[in-house]
Amino acid sequence: MEQQVCHVTEDEKDILQEIMNIAFGKAAADLAEVINIFVVLNVPRIQVLKGAELSGYLREEISDFSDLSIIEQNFRGKFRGSAFLVFPSGAGKELVAMLDADHEETFESGTIDLLEKESLMEVGNILIGACVGKMSELLGDVVTYSPPKVVVENHPNEIIPNNLFNPEYTAIVMKTLFQFDDRNISGFLFLVTTHDSVAWLQQSLARFLEQYE
Amino acid sequence: MAKKFLLVDDSPISRKMLKSCIPVEGVAEFLEAGDGLKGLNVFKEASPDITFLDLTMPVMDGVQALEEMKKHDPDAVIIVATADIQAKSIEKVMALGAFHVLKKPPTKDSVREILQKVDEYRRR
Repeated sequence: MEQQVCHVTEDEKDILQEIMNIAFGKAAADLAEVINIFVVLNVPRIQVLKGAELSGYLREEISDFSDLSIIEQNFRGKFRGSAFLVFPSGAGKELVAMLDADHEETFESGTIDLLEKESLMEVGNILIGACVGKMSELLGDVVTYSPPKVVVENHPNEIIPNNLFNPEYTAIVMKTLFQFDDRNISGFLFLVTTHDSVAWLQQSLARFLEQYE
Repeated sequence: MAKKFLLVDDSPISRKMLKSCIPVEGVAEFLEAGDGLKGLNVFKEASPDITFLDLTMPVMDGVQALEEMKKHDPDAVIIVATADIQAKSIEKVMALGAFHVLKKPPTKDSVREILQKVDEYRRR
């Protein structure tokens, strides 16, 4: 019978934190090349949870944001899971202004229009793709991505896809907080791995570290 | 070849990775610190030959630590070892007097190359 709860050691969490740090640094640099912005980075955090705890954890982590714009993208390979890029609602307008100042006046208040969604997806694609891609590269895998999806929510209850995360099984959550300097926008990137990639992840982390023994 | 290295990084694994990439001839001393403030204190007490400094750290970040270290010893060789490879970050730390920026993850080749540059700089 498949083991439901995996034990992840503190050393493994530490390596994963460093790998996410490297990967998000690459993602920030990629985004800074596309739009003239400086991304303030923070130390990533790693949590090991059961699938049933994911919604509550995410709700707690982003409780400071009243309304949310979430860009969700699934990734599949041996490294498998979901990425959630979370911004406070309204960040989409700022992102539009950063990506294309000409469209700044086309908004109607209180609505999230196509341009905002496209901007959120564009930024999501860059940050999620570069971060997950770099992590996969460092861990020796190649992943494919589902198309990004933008959801506007006032709570994160419904964002965890039930078909990916069994309530009884282990999920590893990697979180990083970032700010766009000068724009007063903060956001979170959460990467949540599925249970079936945890064993592979542990082996890959050990292999990654072997080169430094 | 330098003998005394200070590694400042909040991640023990990251310090271990970097240490394993530093080629050592003869006896070398490795000093470590887990945040910028501790790193600054060790730097002032021990006057390391070469300091490797992370940027994203708790308590005192690497930019602040770099400024303080250069104030204390303007000739200090401080290599910023970071995952933050945004052009603005690199420009900023170079303007503050960093000797070089080492992109994470370190490799034996990338570290050796920078240490050779340090040796060349000191021979001038």
